[in-house]
This record gives sequence, C-alpha cells and structure tokens, in this order.
Amino acid sequence: MPINLNQNLHQAQLKNGLRVMLKEIHTAPVTSTWIWYGIGSRNELPGKTGLSHWVEHMQFKGTRKYTGDDIDNLVSRVGGYANAFTSPDWTTYFETMPSAHLHATLELEADRMVNSLFDPLDVETERTVIISEREGSENYPEFRLDEAVQRRSFQAHPYRNEVLGSKEDLISISRDDLFQHYRNYYQPANAILCVAGDISPQALLEDIENLFGGIPSAPLIKNIPGSEKALTPGDRLELEGPGEAHYLEIAWRCPAASDPNFFAYSIIESLLSGPSSLNMFGSGGISNRTSRLYQALVEEDYAASVFGDLSANIDPGVYKVFATIQPEGDPWAALKIIDDQIRRITSSELSVGEIERAIKQASALFAYGSDNITNQGFWMGYASSFADYQWVAEYLTRLGSVTPSQVLKVAQKYLQADQRVVGVYRATKPQEGL
Amino acid sequence: MNSSMPDSSTILRETWSNGTTLLAYPNLTSPAVYFTGYMQPGAIEDADEFHGLASFTTDMLITGTKRLNFQQLHDKIESIGASLSLGTGHLSTTFSGQCLREDLETVWNLLVEVIQQPAFAEKQFKRVRNQILTGIAIQNQDTGAVASQAFNRALYGSHPHAHPDIGYAQSVAGLRLEQLESFHADHYGPNGLVLAVCGGIAPEVASEIFSRTIGSWQTNTQAPPRTLPPFTPPESSIRSHVALQEKNQSDLVIGVPAPKTLSRDYEVCSIGNSILGKYGMMGRIGKVVREKAGLAYEVSSHLGAGIGPTAWKIVAGVNPDNLEKAISLLKQEILRFYTEPVTQQELQDVKTQALGRLPLSIETNAGIASILVSIERYGYGLDHLRQLPAIIESVTAEEILAAAQRYWNVDKLVITSAGKALE
Repeated sequence: MPINLNQNLHQAQLKNGLRVMLKEIHTAPVTSTWIWYGIGSRNELPGKTGLSHWVEHMQFKGTRKYTGDDIDNLVSRVGGYANAFTSPDWTTYFETMPSAHLHATLELEADRMVNSLFDPLDVETERTVIISEREGSENYPEFRLDEAVQRRSFQAHPYRNEVLGSKEDLISISRDDLFQHYRNYYQPANAILCVAGDISPQALLEDIENLFGGIPSAPLIKNIPGSEKALTPGDRLELEGPGEAHYLEIAWRCPAASDPNFFAYSIIESLLSGPSSLNMFGSGGISNRTSRLYQALVEEDYAASVFGDLSANIDPGVYKVFATIQPEGDPWAALKIIDDQIRRITSSELSVGEIERAIKQASALFAYGSDNITNQGFWMGYASSFADYQWVAEYLTRLGSVTPSQVLKVAQKYLQADQRVVGVYRATKPQEGL
Repeated sequence: MNSSMPDSSTILRETWSNGTTLLAYPNLTSPAVYFTGYMQPGAIEDADEFHGLASFTTDMLITGTKRLNFQQLHDKIESIGASLSLGTGHLSTTFSGQCLREDLETVWNLLVEVIQQPAFAEKQFKRVRNQILTGIAIQNQDTGAVASQAFNRALYGSHPHAHPDIGYAQSVAGLRLEQLESFHADHYGPNGLVLAVCGGIAPEVASEIFSRTIGSWQTNTQAPPRTLPPFTPPESSIRSHVALQEKNQSDLVIGVPAPKTLSRDYEVCSIGNSILGKYGMMGRIGKVVREKAGLAYEVSSHLGAGIGPTAWKIVAGVNPDNLEKAISLLKQEILRFYTEPVTQQELQDVKTQALGRLPLSIETNAGIASILVSIERYGYGLDHLRQLPAIIESVTAEEILAAAQRYWNVDKLVITSAGKALE
C-alpha cells in the first residue's frame, strides 16, 4: 500500500508569518527539526555570489546566547546529528535528536534566526574554509564541466551560478554583505519550521509559539530573477585537462517543479536515465541499468557510466545527462547515441507499462525513505520550498495520472536537439598510473 | 535504554550445516526489507600479479546468469524498484539488497542465482574490464584516492592490504575470463556466508525464504580462506607526496596502525578518536585546523575496523600552499593527544554522544542490518547493543592516554599527500 504522507500532519502559521509543519511519528524516540529559509543562490546578485552559502556557515559560529562550541555541543552531546544545506532556492538547517531534547533545538533555531553575531574574525576564518571547500570541488573534472555547462544554460538567471560562489566573489565579499543578507532573509515570514517524529503536536505548537511568536518580520527585500531565455541553439563547450577519462554533459531546459508538466518529465527522466530518489538520507536508490541511455551507451561501449538529474526548482531549471567516457572513447560519438535516444522518445509514445514501471520504482523509493524520520522532516520543507507539501504527498498519484500522450508532448517541447547545451571535458595529458 | 533495542531475545540467529548464518530482526511497520552480508572471498586471495581478480569476479556476477542475460536480470530487479549490489573488500565479498517486502523472495532468489550461476559472458567481461580500467584512471587523478593508496602502500609494505582491492591498470588489463571463472569455482560457496535482514517481514518467514536457497547450498570446491600473513608496522616515519597536475587542493593522510577491533584497546581508542577528530565539528583537529586556522573544509580522524591490520588515520583536504602548515598543526594535536589526558568534559561529551546516538543508529532497516553484520563479523554477541552503554561508560581518561601512547608517536607517522608538486 502506498505511503500516506498526509497522515498525522499538522500545519499552522504564526502571526509573524512563520509556517509550521508537524508530523507525528512514534516509531522511535527521535525527532528531526528542519528550518527552511526562502533564500538561495537564486536570489543573489552579480558580484555577491556565494552569500547564502557563506551565511549558512556563519550560523554555526555563534550568537550572544550560544558560542559556536555551544551549538556544536547542544546536538553532539546527546548523540544527535545536525547539518545545513544551501541550494539555488533555499537554505535549510536540521537537527535529528533524541526526542527529549527537541525543545533545546527549537530554542537554538529561534535564537539564531535573529541573533547570530557574524564576528569579523570568524568571517575571515570561514572565508578560507569556503575557498578550501570550493578548491576541493575544483579538483574534479566533473565539477568544472558542470559549472561551465550550468553557466551556459542560463544567460541571466542566477541559476547560472555555483551555490558556493565564484572565487572572486568569495575573496571580495565583506562582513557587512553577509550580515545584511542575514538580516534581510532570516525572518519568520521567509521561513518554514518542520518537525517530524516523536512529538505531541498541540504542546509542540505552543512551544513554537512561545519561542518564535515574538520574533518580528520586517519587509522582505527579495531579488526575484526574471525569466530566462531559451537555450542558445547548438551551444557547445569543450574543456581540457589532465587525466584519462573524458566526460560528456548535456543540459535541456525543464519546467518549474510546480508546473504540471514536471511529472511527465519525471517519467521521461526515469525512462532515459533512471529514477531519481527524493530521499535526502541514505535510504538507497535503484540502479539505472535498464534505462534507455544506459542500454545504448554503456551496454554498447560508448560510455563507462551514465546518469541523469532532473532538478526540482522554483523557476524552470535543467535536466542534465552526464556520461563518463572511457579513455579510448569519443564523447562526440556518445552524443550521437544520445541524440538517437532523444529522437526516439520525441517521436513515439511510451507504453502504459513503461509508465507503470516508473511509478512502481518511485513508490519503492518512498517506502525506503519512509523508515527514516530525518527524511520525513526533510520532505515537508523541501517540497514546500518550491511548490507545496502536496507536491510530495501526491507525487505518486500525479505520476499515475500522466498519460503516454502527455509524455510525448513534454518530450517534444523540452528535448529539442537545438535547445540544449553540450559540454565535453577532454582528458589531454595521459599520466602514468600508480 | 530503549526497550526495543535489538538483543538476544529479539534477534533471530540461525546457522545451517553448510556454514551459513542468518541474523534477522523485525521492523514490521516498514513496507520494505533490507538485507546485507558477506561471504568469501576477499581481495586477499589475489596473487601478486593478479591484483583485482577477486573484485573483477564479483563485478561480473551482476552482469547476467546462465538463465538471465544482463537485460533480463536487471529488468527483473529494476522493474519492481529493488536494488541489488555486490562488492569486494580485503577479506570478503559483501552484498546488499532492498525491496518492498512482498518482493523479498524474488530479489533474494536473484541474488542467489547471480552468486551461484553467473554467466561470465565474454561480451560482459570486456565491458566490465573497460569500466574497471576507466574507474582506475579516474582514481589515479583523484587526490584523495591517490593519497589514500600511497598511505596504504607505506603503512602495509609487503602485506596484502597494501594493494587496492580494485587492482592496478596493468594487472586488471592482463586478467583473462577463464581466470575469473576458475576463481569463482574455487572460492565461492556457503561456508562463512553471513546474512542479516531487517524490515517488514517476520524473522521466521525470512528464515524460510533463505533456508530454501542458501541453507541448502552445497559445494565441495570452496577453498578455505587464505590466512593473513603477519603485519610489521614501519619502524620510522614515512613521508611521501604524489604530484598531480592542475589540482587546486592537496589531500593529506597521516596515520598509524590501529588496535585490533575485538579488544579493549579498540573500545578505548574509539572514544579517544571521537575526541581527536570526530565529535561535533570534527573534534580537536577540526577546531584547530578548520575553525581556528581556516585551513581546511574537510579534516577528520578515522579508526579502522576489521579482521587483520587496520589504520588509525587523519585525513584532510588543504590548499597546496598550506600543506606543511596543516601537517605541523596536526602533529601538534597528535602529540598533545598522547602526552596529555583528555579532559573530563571532553570525555563526558563523547560518552553522552555515543549513548545518545544508539537509538538513532537503529532508526532504519539498513542501520539495524549493518549492526547485525558487525555483531557476527566481530563476535560481539547478540546482546552487544545492550552491553555497549556499560562499555562506553567504563572508559577513563587514563585508559585513553595509555592507549594513545601505544599507537601514536610523532616520530613514527606515515604521512602521505597528493596534489600540486611540492616546491
């Protein structure tokens, strides 16, 4: 039987605009608290890329009430785990803890919503930590290729920027830039608080009202990007670097996650490159060895591996296919094979059985994720950040209503041969192996 | 302690006469089932000129059986949203699978089929070999992987653990299909196979499913596992660096041999390791190298577990210009770790963390199943989770200091790095 994600769900909104979502699950004495802010690289301006991610780092550095060590200890001492993530559309913080310590995590989140210090010394230390984080990613050809393809996929929209920010901006951003960003975007009216697990909803809601209800919301100045142009016909880029394996990445436009076409696109993704999991935390996935692209590329020796990524975003994003090409292989030959598969999916309808298979896979992935309370907390805020909770709660139903003709129409609309960006990383200087 | 903690009263443990063992724990509210386990053989069976043979053989299993070709096999797995994977470590081949509970028998039977009746098709052999060679080529450009391999070579010397399980480009390229088939015939069998399962299925039902297949598996060709040769640690410090072009970050490994996994020292060092480089934002070294000096995004310490020698090591990714500074700071912290006792506050913090994390470790089917596997592999006993709190509580600062002195010595460190050439 499909998982009912609306079961034991309680929703409220405080007078200051804070949205609250509570999910009662008593399978373990554990709670997972998530606070989501409607700020990400999507809202950043040129010259200030990476602000949202850097602010996320600063939120672990301390407030007047909590030192950085206090924040660390509050979670660690009781065996909990915590982390934070910044995406193009949102920034989120979570703590999964023994349920007896839920109040302490809520106190922390209420406090650092408004009282983080942004000590100038901490800002400077974190500058080099984040540059180090970026340099670690730059070591990988895949990262460099993906960053280049992403930039070509969006001419003006901030989705073109890496969430970490550009190195130039990371060097020049000031403490005042960070603090202003924090003061503007970290407020109740721009946040969603989600708690899943071993809770008593009514008592918890009262606690949340006491802790967050007195935090005022100021007028939010939010940079909302304009719509992006269509992709440049025939856009290609090529990078070179040391190594042996080559990489091929192709990006097609996809609709916003809230667009009804997104679900038909998900079926296309599942069929072409394998099903994506909506689980944030290690609940396993499904391999893609029977996907059309794996069969055509890997089974026919054009590539060593292939995977896809359909991004669920507020604004139209991209669907990417990424292939690793063997040292003796040719990325452009692999592209021709992908073209053949795209022609196939844009010229004939899928069978009903293929859609049913995609639904069964999605259903299994939800089942795997549902035994994890942290995932349950994640799902609530994640979907609400770019659509609403029903997006995830009704995901399987909506997939089930997709028809073969809808899939064909969506494929024909978005997967046009001249409406994509093609990137190749060519390994040029073979080195002696170990 | 949570009353629902798995223990000898709730874990089903069965052994069959062919040498297989099942551990099962129910989580009946779950619509899914997860299983995992291990069996012979491991990469230790690889002869010197054939490194990668065990791993390549395992990779071939999942490419088709005598009954099902690649497409048919994976269609059966993926069409029901299941997963099945196998891999090879130093000492064993591991496997895992996940599916909806109604599909358990189907998925399990497929795993048994790929283990017992692999096709070893020539076409798949060439394809998998190319995939492995591509993987090795990618690893050879990965600063973290290169530094880690250099560390293993330096620490383990002539011991088999010095070699990567996946093998080397040259050794893998020279392997023949017949070798893989022979390796499979000689080393695969039920003896030593351990399986753990957790999810929405009663243990007795799981037992029935597994006993029909693995429980009745008989073979008279399975060779006994190779005995691990003795390990002689390096007698002095080793420092090596592998230069890789166009890398913006260098990866660093500093380490020493770890205590045996089933020992009091290991329990003590596990608590000590949390203080050194795990607790909160990566313990003491995280505070010094990341939080105060801002030198690294990633820096942490890891205490290896396993049968046979393992390593206790610190890993970090730093800007090439800061490499020596990071090594210097880490050496200072290592020295402090074995010359000064940890504070009572530090000790209390990691103890409460370890105790508090126990309920979280059994939150998922996969989490429970992996604990069951460890219980069997290391002989902890079925009441291990119930005994663990007392073990954690018993560790003292004096014990940690004494144990740290037995393993860490700044004059006997293995230090390896990979990235931009050193000036």
